Amino acid sequence: MAAEYDTFVNTLDELKQGEEIELKVRDTATFETRIVKAIISSTKSKLPDGDVLWIRFSRGLLHKEPWAIKIIADLGDGISS
Amino acid sequence: MPFSDLREYISKLEKMGELVRVKKEVDWNLEAGAIARRCNEIEAPIPYFEKIKGYSKEFTVLGDIINTLKRLSIAMEQPTDLPYAEMYRNLMQVYLSGIEHPIKPRVVKTGPCKENIMKGNDVNLYKFPSLMLHDGDGGRYIGTAHTVITKDFDSGWVNWGCYRQMIHNRNHLGGYVAPPRDMAIMLRKYEERNKPMEFAIAMGTDPVVFAVGISPVPYKINEVDVIGGIRKEPVDVIKCETVDLMVPATSEIVIEGHVLPGVRVDEGPFGEYTGYRASPRAPRLVYKVDCITHRNSPILTAVCEGAPVDSGHVANSIARAATIRTDLVNAGIPVVDVHVVIRSSGFLTVVSTKTPYSNIAHRIASVVWGSRAAQSGSHKVMVVNDDIDPFNIDEVVHAFATKCHPVRGHHAVPNAAGHPLVPYQNLEERLWAKNSLMLYDCTWPIDWPVEIAIPPKASFNSIYPKELQDKVLANWKNYGFRE
Repeated sequence: MAAEYDTFVNTLDELKQGEEIELKVRDTATFETRIVKAIISSTKSKLPDGDVLWIRFSRGLLHKEPWAIKIIADLGDGISS
Repeated sequence: MPFSDLREYISKLEKMGELVRVKKEVDWNLEAGAIARRCNEIEAPIPYFEKIKGYSKEFTVLGDIINTLKRLSIAMEQPTDLPYAEMYRNLMQVYLSGIEHPIKPRVVKTGPCKENIMKGNDVNLYKFPSLMLHDGDGGRYIGTAHTVITKDFDSGWVNWGCYRQMIHNRNHLGGYVAPPRDMAIMLRKYEERNKPMEFAIAMGTDPVVFAVGISPVPYKINEVDVIGGIRKEPVDVIKCETVDLMVPATSEIVIEGHVLPGVRVDEGPFGEYTGYRASPRAPRLVYKVDCITHRNSPILTAVCEGAPVDSGHVANSIARAATIRTDLVNAGIPVVDVHVVIRSSGFLTVVSTKTPYSNIAHRIASVVWGSRAAQSGSHKVMVVNDDIDPFNIDEVVHAFATKCHPVRGHHAVPNAAGHPLVPYQNLEERLWAKNSLMLYDCTWPIDWPVEIAIPPKASFNSIYPKELQDKVLANWKNYGFRE
């Protein structure tokens, strides 16, 4: 079963599709945020081996259709201590 | 005798029918939050979740603990059978008595909060069943009904306040603190010197601790002394394991660590006391956790904030009304009553007053907005004549609708300080914590001739001779009415 993540954005335009990007995503099982290198797409068929990426707007509103995400590398939690 | 801990308070609530033990397993992911939210909105008994999915029965969660005047009165050992206005005024007085007669805490060497200790790599915030309270929140919030304890960099002032806290990972929390709040004032001093700020979080305490933590106690007054004053007994405190701070010895859970200077990580959004999720996910301060201690079978407390009513609305309303009333009296205003309307999320404050001179409503609004009590509310001030009962919302609405002139009665004040949680502000205003304020002057102008300009009020209490009113009341049942 595909893993599920979500990410917070102000607008969908912030999400560049089809190329490697750095993105903050939450694992929806734990709600922990990780910074990842990933490729994302609004079309599941363009990332057939990808996981589910839900998109939330900055105040928590859920975008109706899930996107797809293929995580290439985990870059950590972004907390320096 | 005041409650020595949360468990005594739970027993009392249960005996009074104010608490329901939820024995059916519930999910920490939204289900418990939905139940707690509905309980708040319909003023149902407090839910005590005894089995959380994925956790042993040793770890339980208690919902909103002081979310009605009656429950706050129980917490403060006050009468619970008074009419609303009397209960409200009585609680105001109790709060003020704590400020006027503070009692220093008593340091003890042992306490149940030390029954279990986790340090270093053993620290794991996920040990406790923190709730995902609202769909769309930024994370699991472990800190919604707690007390964050920090000390001033260059004085003996110790702050006990309530600031929301979201779990980032096993040993980091994130949180929002509004810029004018005490902890933000303290943190600025540490960050100016690039120093970490020690913190301790006390969860599951005697309910008075929580109530005072969400109240606008005067600047640089230690809340723990005020709590002692309200309880009429000192709070028993015990030294933390890893930081130079004291916490209530009977706390269910204590989290210790440092706020990292200059570090900001995305936190939120969160369904807040305003009834909305108005501020976005944004970089906010980070708490590094070094140690957790807890009682055996610890009880995690959780307030599912949102549309009224929750604990914050109730306790904060009482303390703010008491503070505002004191400030108005000290300013020489002939104030009669102050009501920070609980169901307005604390945004609306109604003041009844005598009107010995023109435009007294402006002086009242200036005092209210200058008060420490208006840091996170009272953006809208309604001033009514002393024949209106501010606690009677029907009378208040009638006065507003019929006495507040659409042009001369509304006085907007732009460019005020605010915070990002105010729903009616636009995105730019919320980003920069700007606010706008409004005075509704519902008093009759004193330069209106009484005989011809002020319309006589057509109500039973005001438009009939007193003798006739008495006669009608005396004969009411004789007319055929029940009451």
